[in-house]
Amino acid sequence: MQTMKRSWWVVIAVLLLAAPLRAQGKPLTVTGIRGVTFGAVLPGVPRVVLRSDPANSGQIDIRGPKGLVLLTFVLPVAMTGPGGALMPIRFGAGDAGFSATQAIGSQVGFDPKQPFTATLPNNGRASVFVGATANPTTNQRAGAYTATLILTVTVL
Amino acid sequence: MRSITKLSLVAVLALTGTALQAQANNASITATASVQTPINVVGAQPLNFGNVFPGVNKTVVATDLTNAGRFDITGQASTPVTLSFTLPATLGSGSNTMPIVSYAGVHAQNSTGIGGIGFLPSAGSSPSLNASGQLWVWVGAQVQPATNQVAGVYTGSITMTVVY
Repeated sequence: MQTMKRSWWVVIAVLLLAAPLRAQGKPLTVTGIRGVTFGAVLPGVPRVVLRSDPANSGQIDIRGPKGLVLLTFVLPVAMTGPGGALMPIRFGAGDAGFSATQAIGSQVGFDPKQPFTATLPNNGRASVFVGATANPTTNQRAGAYTATLILTVTVL
Repeated sequence: MRSITKLSLVAVLALTGTALQAQANNASITATASVQTPINVVGAQPLNFGNVFPGVNKTVVATDLTNAGRFDITGQASTPVTLSFTLPATLGSGSNTMPIVSYAGVHAQNSTGIGGIGFLPSAGSSPSLNASGQLWVWVGAQVQPATNQVAGVYTGSITMTVVY
């Protein structure tokens, strides 16, 4: 009898622990809204895009269950241009920002090179903004350059 | 006791299973840039004083299209650039020197110098390339041979640096 009681306590504990996690059934979606746009860049002249730049910063929207999420970026070190030419791109320690209101003016800055834990609000919606610096060399080959940034969001 | 072991196993599996339900998703965005035409500078014509006589100063003005030094610049159309110079204080011929002073410059958006704008090379200048991405710069100066200046060919190097 004593054994049965202990067994049931274990079952109840498991159910209690599992219940909140199962309540996180709201699907997680991550959507790239806007890329980081450097526009015209002159050889030898670094071009900075701030994460607070409403036109040129990158933006990724998140929808999911309220609560903690882990944000992890995969960042390029260079953009690729004509004939495989490379142009360095640098991300500073404050070049990413998390906004629980999705407003670009109310971000919490973080280092995109490090995983960052954020909290999705009650409505489950948030945005991540990204800035960067392009560093063309003085003899940088003219043309269009691109690179890809990936943000992975994990519900904790 | 055996019952507890089984239930514990169930509990572990349940917890593990729940943890595996953790959601993850990702999205990508691009970074884009359009690199403009690099600057190219050519020393197109030397600053030529020709024959100089001891004790007689000689000046080549920047508007002298034949004898003034000329640099030809190409780059991104209609874009401002900054010019800076390294100017010798003397010309040399072996161990002999001859002072060169009073540098003057003109930059223009055409090769004929029409509409050119004068400037002091020692102070630099910030003109713009024309609609075809071109700019011309002329440099003049004065040499001051001493009365006992040793005969010979005297030379020096003028360096112009152009950046966006």
